[in-house]
Amino acid sequence: MEQEEKVLNPQESLRVIRETIDLAKRGVGESGFQFLWWGWLVVIACLAEYYMLVNGYGVKAHLAWILMPVVGAPVSMVYEWRRDRKQKERNTVREWYGYLWLGFGISLVLALVTSILRQTPPVPMVLIVAGFATFMSGILIRFRPLVFGGIVLWVGAALCLAVAVREHSLVEAGAIVLGYLVPGYMLNRKTRRSHV
Amino acid sequence: MYKYLDPLLLSQLRLAIMSYLMVAREAEFNALREQTGATAGNLSAQISKLQEAGYLDVEKTFRNNYPLTICRLTERGVEAFEAFYKDLKTYFGQ
Repeated sequence: MEQEEKVLNPQESLRVIRETIDLAKRGVGESGFQFLWWGWLVVIACLAEYYMLVNGYGVKAHLAWILMPVVGAPVSMVYEWRRDRKQKERNTVREWYGYLWLGFGISLVLALVTSILRQTPPVPMVLIVAGFATFMSGILIRFRPLVFGGIVLWVGAALCLAVAVREHSLVEAGAIVLGYLVPGYMLNRKTRRSHV
Repeated sequence: MYKYLDPLLLSQLRLAIMSYLMVAREAEFNALREQTGATAGNLSAQISKLQEAGYLDVEKTFRNNYPLTICRLTERGVEAFEAFYKDLKTYFGQ
């Protein structure tokens, strides 16, 4: 049966375009899981490293950072793989989001390698790149707490200039709690509510 | 009255389908139904019109033995949407 459609005027057309594109942008499907998962892993790694440094474990203290991606990456990848299987659409914003975090991963590895080779403290570099990725994620999915989260991580990076290198892991733990975990929990709560 | 605007896109549902697919580059029929709130019959009719105009490419396939319809914008559809949006901005003098 032929269905008749309401003819729009230009104002209504613009409204339909804006509302639908907003809706599609929200379809990134970010539930906050990755922020919570990596947020907690980083906080645990930071505190473990600090404890080991204070208690004289020396270079072994950095083992926490090697163990973190070994534990974190497989869980993260399985989660994304399962989510992709459920996806009913190819979302451009979701693709940008994926590329953004891929770029973050590459930047992080380069920053860490540079820090190790040049023997400079890695934490400020980590917080700078994490801040950028978090800030841009907030812009892309239109979730302001993540934008503020990115700014908190940048502030954490700047704060590292004012404290001893040994204390950097404590600054990082604090910045991750405020810049990653708090927005992550807020995003998770918002996603759960929207599915009720 | 709106002689510069593509009449095919001056329809709420057709414009919503096109706008949605500008961001979600391809979408399953059910996803479009959820996002637009349209009935299956109406959505199907409007998709057919967009397909006839060459704006949409509709792929009919199967997933786990169930029929699956995937819609995506064609190059012509993207151009039509961009031209429509440009014309709208001209209309508003932006």
